[in-house]
Amino acid sequence: MMRAALFLLWGSIVVGGAAMADLRGWLGARPATVRNVPRSIRENPGAYRALYTGSPRLFGGK
Amino acid sequence: MVATAPLTRGFNCANCGAAVELRALQHTRAVACTSCAAIIDPRDPTVFVLQTAAERERVTPVIPLGTRGTWDGQPCEVVGFQRRSIEVDDTRYGWDEYVLFNPYRGFRYLSEYEGHWNDIRTVRELPRLESSGKRTKISYRGESYAHFQGATARTDFVLGEFPWRVRTGDEVRTADYIAPPQMLSSESTDDETTWSIGRYTEAAEIWKAFSLQGEPRSASGVFANQPSPYGKRLKRSAAVFALLAGLLALFVVVRLVSADRERVLSERYVWRPGAGEPAFVTAPFALREPGTVEIALGASVQNAWLGVDLALINVDSGTAWNVSREVSFYTGRDSDGAWTEGSRSSRVLLPAVPAGQYYLRVEPEGPTTSPQVPYTIQVRRDVPSLLPYGIAILLLLVPPVANLLRMASFEHRRLQESDHSA
Repeated sequence: MMRAALFLLWGSIVVGGAAMADLRGWLGARPATVRNVPRSIRENPGAYRALYTGSPRLFGGK
Repeated sequence: MVATAPLTRGFNCANCGAAVELRALQHTRAVACTSCAAIIDPRDPTVFVLQTAAERERVTPVIPLGTRGTWDGQPCEVVGFQRRSIEVDDTRYGWDEYVLFNPYRGFRYLSEYEGHWNDIRTVRELPRLESSGKRTKISYRGESYAHFQGATARTDFVLGEFPWRVRTGDEVRTADYIAPPQMLSSESTDDETTWSIGRYTEAAEIWKAFSLQGEPRSASGVFANQPSPYGKRLKRSAAVFALLAGLLALFVVVRLVSADRERVLSERYVWRPGAGEPAFVTAPFALREPGTVEIALGASVQNAWLGVDLALINVDSGTAWNVSREVSFYTGRDSDGAWTEGSRSSRVLLPAVPAGQYYLRVEPEGPTTSPQVPYTIQVRRDVPSLLPYGIAILLLLVPPVANLLRMASFEHRRLQESDHSA
């Protein structure tokens, strides 16, 4: 009975955690964040050098 | 001459002269002297010695003869004790049996093997054969019992009174059928078959009923009709799992129904190789509430790829979230037939972006030899993700699955002791 109560408590935390993870996007991408990007970037987008988390690129087929 | 009731409540052993007390009186068919273990027929006026004690090891019962207690709500007394054994694979396995007597209820028995106890009564109804396949099943009072083990049991040592003419060295063919916590057992000789039913009993119950001193020995291994402790646990954990899974499903439904999925940007662009500076920014758009942001990239690529570096930039604070996405799609044909690889769309979910005015800085990149590639970028706010719920359901499955595995292991260990072990 004690085990069932512990499972219920733990499971409630898991269910609540899943709902929070969905709402807050905890399991989404982990983007690199840059602060204080100058407003001039809007006029000169090519001047922006971001820190990318990167993704492997596919250069070819099978 | 027909046997008659004993003349007295006691007499002296014809073998050693020690005093022998009779507790079950006229019900006793044989009594083993507690001093020399000679087996005597108390119904014979001459107190005939059925069998003298052989040269053998004496066994001291854990419950002394003469111990009184209340068992199953009835007062009773331990009047007899025997040790029996079976031989399996050239090894003898012994167990002890105690004879309990109540003048109004008659006899019943307690058996003990490796710390496992059973409360045993003889049955009058004949069990019915249910199936005789790989593992015979019999039915008794509406319950099905599966065959567990058959052997030849031998009586090795006796003390006290018995309601039958017990002798050491007696052998009977036994067959056990189980429906934990019950066990139906048959004992057959050439002349007759008797059936008894045992109920697995915790040793602590017996210690309490007979006010025995000390602690009972710990049970080792899994006994034939020992109830699995994991059966109840599995049922409880399955019930809790069902409750939590229902709650989780409710959360998913509410989230899928209530999520805004507000599209805040949807634009079409074309990537042209060698067209100068590829980077550009979109028009500002508003994220009116904090939450997740999904950026979706779609491109009509054919045997080509398109990569896009994206920065979601807050107009006011200048904070930028940088990600890169790529789509690639290839097709072809080889000896295995036609094949495709990759996808023409890609999505990325950004966690918890604050409300505010934003724009995207986009820097596309593709193979310089390709023709122009049209592509789309869509940004949506408050998009639900099913991944956390999927992970949650897997985590919630851990306790019931663990209990299921433990129960399977318990049943496997039980069967290891049977005729049906793999």
